[in-house]
Amino acid sequence: MNLTKPLLVAGLLSLNLAGSALAAVDDEAAKALGKRNDCFKCHAVDKAKKGPSYQKIAAKYKGKADAEEKLMKNLTTGPKVKLEDGTEEEHKIIDTKDPKELKNLIDWILSR
Amino acid sequence: MKKTVLFAQIAALGVIGVFTTGTVTAADPAKINWSRIPATNVPLFYPGQSSYEWLRSDAHKNAAKEVKRGDSCTSCHDEEGAEKDLGNKLVQAGPLEPMPVKGKSGYKDLKVQAAYDEKNAYLRFQWKTDNAYPGTEHQYLRFDGKKWEVWGFPKLDKIVQDGQMMGIYEDRMSIMIDDGKVPGFAKQGCWLSCHDGQRDMQKQFTKAEVAANPLLTSIKKSDVRKYLPESRNDPSDWKTGKSVEEINKIKAAGGFVDLIQWRAHRSYPVGMADDGYVLEFRLGDAGKDMFSGNADATTHAPKFMWDASKVGYKSITVDQLHQGDHFLIREKNAVPFDPNAGWKEGDMVPDYILSREDAKGSAADNNAIASWKDGMWTVVMVRPLGLTNSDDKALKAGGVYDIGFAAHDDNITTRGHHVSFVKTLGLGVAKGTKVDINAVKLP
Ligand code: HEC
Ligand code: HEC
Repeated sequence: MNLTKPLLVAGLLSLNLAGSALAAVDDEAAKALGKRNDCFKCHAVDKAKKGPSYQKIAAKYKGKADAEEKLMKNLTTGPKVKLEDGTEEEHKIIDTKDPKELKNLIDWILSR
Repeated sequence: MKKTVLFAQIAALGVIGVFTTGTVTAADPAKINWSRIPATNVPLFYPGQSSYEWLRSDAHKNAAKEVKRGDSCTSCHDEEGAEKDLGNKLVQAGPLEPMPVKGKSGYKDLKVQAAYDEKNAYLRFQWKTDNAYPGTEHQYLRFDGKKWEVWGFPKLDKIVQDGQMMGIYEDRMSIMIDDGKVPGFAKQGCWLSCHDGQRDMQKQFTKAEVAANPLLTSIKKSDVRKYLPESRNDPSDWKTGKSVEEINKIKAAGGFVDLIQWRAHRSYPVGMADDGYVLEFRLGDAGKDMFSGNADATTHAPKFMWDASKVGYKSITVDQLHQGDHFLIREKNAVPFDPNAGWKEGDMVPDYILSREDAKGSAADNNAIASWKDGMWTVVMVRPLGLTNSDDKALKAGGVYDIGFAAHDDNITTRGHHVSFVKTLGLGVAKGTKVDINAVKLP
């Protein structure tokens, strides 16, 4: 019991390290995950589709400390999002259980 | 099948002669220098049963509303490799493919080049076949010892999938063209014409339903094929056809799409592509096609057989398939069928008889040359400019058209094709006009 907590913390720490400026974003892995999840059907890098462009999202969160946390929430909890015509629908929940893979995609989006 | 052989054959049929007569000069499609004409890659993918109705249903997740309001498919499906991903998924068993064909490819690259002169538009296509042979064979009439029966069926048919029958069907390259008069075609292309209820689609029609349908009985049809939304009161229900009078009005206003099919068995051997259109049905243009059925309506025996004095045989057997050209051409190698010629079980005669001479009217507008080499078809369709027939879209220099492409490969028909999202084709459009494919003016 007592052992699990420090281990978890250690795991998260190393994750954070891997995701910080030290590690480059894996471009291919991010695109593959996004593709598998139909993200590109609603978001393009540089133009608005059904959802905003990744560049616009990156600009919105530029320099914000909670950027990663917000995106994580957006992609894992299915919040209501507003479409351009004013109607609402639940945002797609990403189908990966691998936090590293998810973080890589988020970093990829934030660095557009 | 060597290139030289085919060109010689076409010359003998007088095709080349046609191209060079008249006051305005027309290019010989075999002599156009295609290496100087830009090529566009058009991705083709297997669409399964993604019908007009499915696209507007909740099963098309998060997209039904947008498709209903007329958004273009590529407003969403434009990510890198979109067509490849769609095709590779849809070709496998799943909600949109109840009858998967083993080993079929989900995706094909289609290379498209276009040119025109004062007389014609020339569209050149190149694509790879799944098989190591050209799909020039088509269905046969086979003698079973007593009677003649159709032999060889397309690969989406149950009898073929169950291994009870060989898959035989000609390869095809088809294009659907509109000049901006069909609402929605510029955005959603061929998908406007693909509906539940059609052959090999969800909720396929029954004979009784068709027999009870006022529109289909008045146009004398016994199944349900491609139709455009405007031909129905409820576009999502094939049974709700408008009156023939209303449909004729739509047709007169240009609300149909031209459908040209190059057929590797039924038009290629006579140097042509067929000419049809889609409105309330997939219809042939007025006049007479270059192919017609070879089975006698009452006895179902062949009407023609090969002329043994010209080709060395009156019929073939199954082991001779794909070994040489098995085309039955009325003016070239056919004689009337002789019921007393000593037929044996297994003898096979083509189910279709071809004739360039007999092809007439608007149905005979389109020419084509083709060759198959090292696993690849090269087809050049020749479409006259400025056609004035009521069932044709007139192509003009400077014009811009919406066009969809489809290749039927590996012994298959109906929806078993690889298709494209809609593209634009320009005929020498001015600099600054953006089109996917711009035909080059020939000197
Ligand atoms: C059905 C269309 C659709 C799909 C699929 C979709 N999104 Fe979104 N996304 C939207 C819309 C709409 C918004 C919200 C726009 C707004 O509220 O301003 C959005 C917002 C976002 C945001 C910004 C959230 C914020 O806080 O501003 C991110 C990041 C995002 N999506 C990423 C993704 C990823 C990654 C995927 C794939 C797992 C994905 N989206 C799949 C439509 C979609
Ligand atoms: C508003 C965006 C949008 C538009 C417009 C749109 N689609 Fe889609 N389409 C999607 C999304 C998102 C999916 C993935 C849904 C899923 O995973 O089932 C999809 C899935 C599909 C599929 C099924 C693929 C599969 O995974 O089974 C086909 C086929 C398809 N679309 C064809 C079309 C065609 C053809 C059009 C134009 C008539 C079109 N779509 C228009 C967003 C769109």
